[in-house]
Amino acid sequence: MTSSLKALLVDYMAVERMVVSSMLRNFHCEITLAKNGKEAVDMFLEGNEFDIVVCDKDMPIMTGPEAVIKIRAMGATDVKIVGVSADDNAMEAFMSAGADDFVPKPMRLEVLGPMIEEVINR
Amino acid sequence: MDYSNLRRQAASLKKGLFDQGHLDEQFRQVEDLQDEASPNFVEEVVVVFFKDSGRLISNLEQALEKYPRDFNRWDAYMQQLKGSCSSIGASRMKNECMSFRDNCGQRSVEGCMGSLQKLKREHAILRQKLESYFQVTLEAPPCQSWCHDRWIISINLLTDVCMFTMQLLRQVGPAGAATRPAM
Repeated sequence: MTSSLKALLVDYMAVERMVVSSMLRNFHCEITLAKNGKEAVDMFLEGNEFDIVVCDKDMPIMTGPEAVIKIRAMGATDVKIVGVSADDNAMEAFMSAGADDFVPKPMRLEVLGPMIEEVINR
Repeated sequence: MDYSNLRRQAASLKKGLFDQGHLDEQFRQVEDLQDEASPNFVEEVVVVFFKDSGRLISNLEQALEKYPRDFNRWDAYMQQLKGSCSSIGASRMKNECMSFRDNCGQRSVEGCMGSLQKLKREHAILRQKLESYFQVTLEAPPCQSWCHDRWIISINLLTDVCMFTMQLLRQVGPAGAATRPAM
């Protein structure tokens, strides 16, 4: 599958950024990395556009759900936002913030693939 | 060098990691991401994991001392570590993270301390086992280069055989022609 989608990956932990960005690269996404919610929001404030955001929940400075609220408030309603977390209670926080989807960690290729395909087919 | 033996050793070490519950299926996902463009991806991920996890454990130990009974803070550190463990398939470590978080929920300092000690033990064991595994895989080259070497050896052998046969025919030639029956 080739996509050339623009993906923003937001996670505090380096190892998780490594693994998920490799998965996104597997689907030929153009990847931008952010270490916390504030960096992610700043990306949007700088005028960057993304097709998909994969965002962790618990991060210093600004959490994932907090970032999602701000991103949606900026008018970025088309971008698909996927919340990810090892926290079992994270789904509600993400969905009520305005995320489109939630995936419990760890992210898997067979889960990410259909999401990428869905964005391509929009 | 007996590469097949080293390969068997590597396979056995890896099987042990899975059979003993140190690693789960997610590790295979990480392995699937390794390719020619990033031939050492798995090892690089593991190195970063132990760097991250070592730092988190150290931060947590400091927090246990500096912020007594601050279960929310302790839980937040362990939440991050749990996520990292699940991302590479460090199953036993992940279970100890969950145990620690349960103890935070029950506000048990003793339980948290016990879980942390177990977590540190699992961390050390996994690190040692993966280091052994990667050491062996380093000594056994990837099948591509091994097969390439074998192919080169086969071509060289065939060339030698052909040249020997031609020399033999040159030597035998006239005598051999004399003994050949007429067609």
